[in-house]
Amino acid sequence: MRRVTSGTSRDRTFREEALPQLDAIYRFALRLTRDRDRAEDLTQDTFLRAYQSWETFTPGTRVKSWLFTICRNLFLRREERSRRHREIVSEVKEEDPRRISREPGIFATARQHDPEGAFWREIVDDEVVRAIENLPEEFREAVVLSDVEDLSYNEIAEVLELPVGTVKSRLFRGRKRLQEELYEYAVSSGIVPDERSREIREEDANQ
Amino acid sequence: MTWTDDLRRLLARLRRGRPAESGPEALTCQEAAERIFEWLDGELDPELADQVGSHLETCARCYPRLRFERAFREALTRATKEQGAPDGLEERVLQSLRNTGFSEN
Repeated sequence: MRRVTSGTSRDRTFREEALPQLDAIYRFALRLTRDRDRAEDLTQDTFLRAYQSWETFTPGTRVKSWLFTICRNLFLRREERSRRHREIVSEVKEEDPRRISREPGIFATARQHDPEGAFWREIVDDEVVRAIENLPEEFREAVVLSDVEDLSYNEIAEVLELPVGTVKSRLFRGRKRLQEELYEYAVSSGIVPDERSREIREEDANQ
Repeated sequence: MTWTDDLRRLLARLRRGRPAESGPEALTCQEAAERIFEWLDGELDPELADQVGSHLETCARCYPRLRFERAFREALTRATKEQGAPDGLEERVLQSLRNTGFSEN
């Protein structure tokens, strides 16, 4: 920690509280934009906006959530300018989060050969990142804020301006989609055996 | 993470000695599965978290799914956590802040 010797207390608190979030904001910006240059621009603009509005930050709340909100709002405003409307988001149907949790999904397929999910560790990091970036935006935001940035459901609800139930629905569905995509990759790259084709072969052999 | 999982299971088993609401018998497998993500995310109130946790960690049917979901989450964290801002971005941000009157010292 650097010793603070002078400067206004406003600038000092901004430097001490907001600036350490640079990595997290860049990561989030990168997940939103999926482009390094645009992520850098968005990060810079987020900190500029945050500095200008520093008085509106409520001390005691999490500065990271506040910065994510600014970052996302700036991103959306730009997207709207270029896309006019966000048709995908309006089509999302919300599902009961408990029902989504209950369904085993990929676990039901993988349990036959790898019930503890050891294969997740064998999937290369780049592939995980690629799969996250391939998620539809509304799922991607929820997954990144929770699994990467460790925000609570309430904090995510604030950043995304959604009810907590909707956050859960999107987060759980996003995770399931991610599992499906990564499992498919694991099968196609030979990390796990293709259970489906084995089942078909066994059926053929039994006939 | 294996040893922490084992430790958690052991603690959960010890807790089973406690009467009343804890232990795998307090919830059905379906009820525990419905809360698996909320439990992993640390979003349940302590009493329910205790019930769900002791079920998931001691039930022979549910424990594999718990480990499976945990391993998946660890893969996500591992793949993305290390990614930080590129060299030079901090300086670029600081420069733009200075232009609007930010003082570093």
